[in-house]
Amino acid sequence: MSIPQTVSPPTQEPGPKRSWTSTGQRQITATDALRVVILTTAALVALIPILWLVFGSFKTPTELSERPPTLLPQSWGFGNYTEALTRFDFGTYMMNSVIVTVAATVLTLLINSMAAYALAKYNFRGRNALFLLTLATIMIPLQVILIPVYQVVASFGMVNTLWGLIIPAAATPTGVFILRQYMLSIPDELIEAARVDGAGELKIFLRIVLPVCRPALAVVAILSIMWRWNDFLWPLVVAQSESVYTLPVALARFTAQETVPFNLIIAMSVVSILPVIILFLFFQKQITTGIANTGIK
Amino acid sequence: MIKASTKQEQRRRKPPLGLRLAPYLFLLPNTAIFVLFTIWPAINGFNISLYSSSNGRTFRWEGTGNYQRILSDDGFWGVVMNTAIYAVAFVVLSVGIGIFLAVLVDQQGRGRSFFRAAFFIPVLISPVVVGLIWNWMLERQNGLVNTFLGMEIPWLVDDNLALVAIIAVGVWMQVGFYMLILLAGLQSIDPTLYEASGMDGASRWLQFRTITLPLLQPSILVVVVLATIHGFQAFDYIYTLTGGGPVGATTLIVQYIYENGFVSPIRYGAAAAGSVLLFCVVFAITIVNYMIGRKREAV
Repeated sequence: MSIPQTVSPPTQEPGPKRSWTSTGQRQITATDALRVVILTTAALVALIPILWLVFGSFKTPTELSERPPTLLPQSWGFGNYTEALTRFDFGTYMMNSVIVTVAATVLTLLINSMAAYALAKYNFRGRNALFLLTLATIMIPLQVILIPVYQVVASFGMVNTLWGLIIPAAATPTGVFILRQYMLSIPDELIEAARVDGAGELKIFLRIVLPVCRPALAVVAILSIMWRWNDFLWPLVVAQSESVYTLPVALARFTAQETVPFNLIIAMSVVSILPVIILFLFFQKQITTGIANTGIK
Repeated sequence: MIKASTKQEQRRRKPPLGLRLAPYLFLLPNTAIFVLFTIWPAINGFNISLYSSSNGRTFRWEGTGNYQRILSDDGFWGVVMNTAIYAVAFVVLSVGIGIFLAVLVDQQGRGRSFFRAAFFIPVLISPVVVGLIWNWMLERQNGLVNTFLGMEIPWLVDDNLALVAIIAVGVWMQVGFYMLILLAGLQSIDPTLYEASGMDGASRWLQFRTITLPLLQPSILVVVVLATIHGFQAFDYIYTLTGGGPVGATTLIVQYIYENGFVSPIRYGAAAAGSVLLFCVVFAITIVNYMIGRKREAV
């Protein structure tokens, strides 16, 4: 009995690269050059604002207000970072962001994979109805039900708690969908054989199904981390007191009130974008194929 | 009852209790959260929009009063106008540029993965930080954009320019995401089609119109729907870019809902009624998408 293959995309076929010319010979034409110029310009437009932020985080306040602005800092110093961490409670906000992201992602992986397993591998009454119910929630984004969701969360006493940030968004239709599609490729015989051997349903799920689903779980985990870490509207509504601010909420609140110097805001902005960018650089392939295949964010 | 049944069929007909209950137990946590925090609020939202409150605890029956009030309010129509302009411009520009970049990246041999990553990185950045960066970039006297142009354009101070600015920044932030979906669509097109038409002497523009666009249509449809929904939901980066100003020129519907619901003076009724109207728009778009998708499959 073989374990299903991972759903990685087909590897690039060997042979000549796809090109517009039928012969495939390398002749640099004017259009090729134009294409490279346009792509390079667009890449600069995409990246310069981010580099500008990163360079700015090392500049002193006087250098930041200089005219005309300089691109590279005169001397590279970590003063903004250390000051932001000591003068304000940015450490707490970062901790809150980490706790919410990790806890929500673990919870999402667990309950999404359980639901996906039920929908993929059991025949039971109401299966189609429950699957449709799951898919329907894609059509109901938080923005349009902000007030009634807040009421529910408030009635549970979860306003101003990290639970209020973790639980409501943990059940993601995208995650259920990705995992269900993957689990459909697990052969039924594998599960039947374990049942004949006397394994319980929970044991089969934990010991056989979950390990096999590792690639799909990785995709859902990465997406969940990206969503939760950058989430803003919901934390803005739920985290009303400073002790439960996440990084994005703290950054936005402090910018609006101008209570924190700009150089410290920049430093904390860099801290808040770094984890996701590092994650992306490590898992580029999984992230891009995951998003391209589901088309959902 | 069928008498002659094999052993297997018998087992299927009378599974043990644990096996019959298992799928429901597996589904329970996920479905409970869906029902509590999405399905029930979506239904209850219509109910709440019929009441008004200034503190979120005591409610007064309004009937259709909230709707009548916001629909006769010029401020609300200003927000609707801003949202409509934003959504249309955002969809046209982000999808158009997305297709353009996807085609260019797809044709690029060397460095393709670099360009793909470069365009995608803005998608990953916290929208709050995107707003902060561009607020700084577009600053009138000290901003990098005006320094580069050698001018002092009041990007975030002028009503019309501020709306242009939030559209441009929205496109900057999201276009890499759409490009990625379109690129996946492009890569599923059979390359021999281009080779054959190239041998017949078709120009690249003709190839684009007769091969690329028609075969890319499913991906384009997905991207248009996503961009439309994103366009109507835009909020977070605008909060730190312009804060909805100057004087409400960049206040979109989600910010209207947030401010009426959670920022003093609280007008819960207006926020809830605004939510219901937004819900109807998003729902209508999804239905239209579904119908177009169905039609295409049938043809």
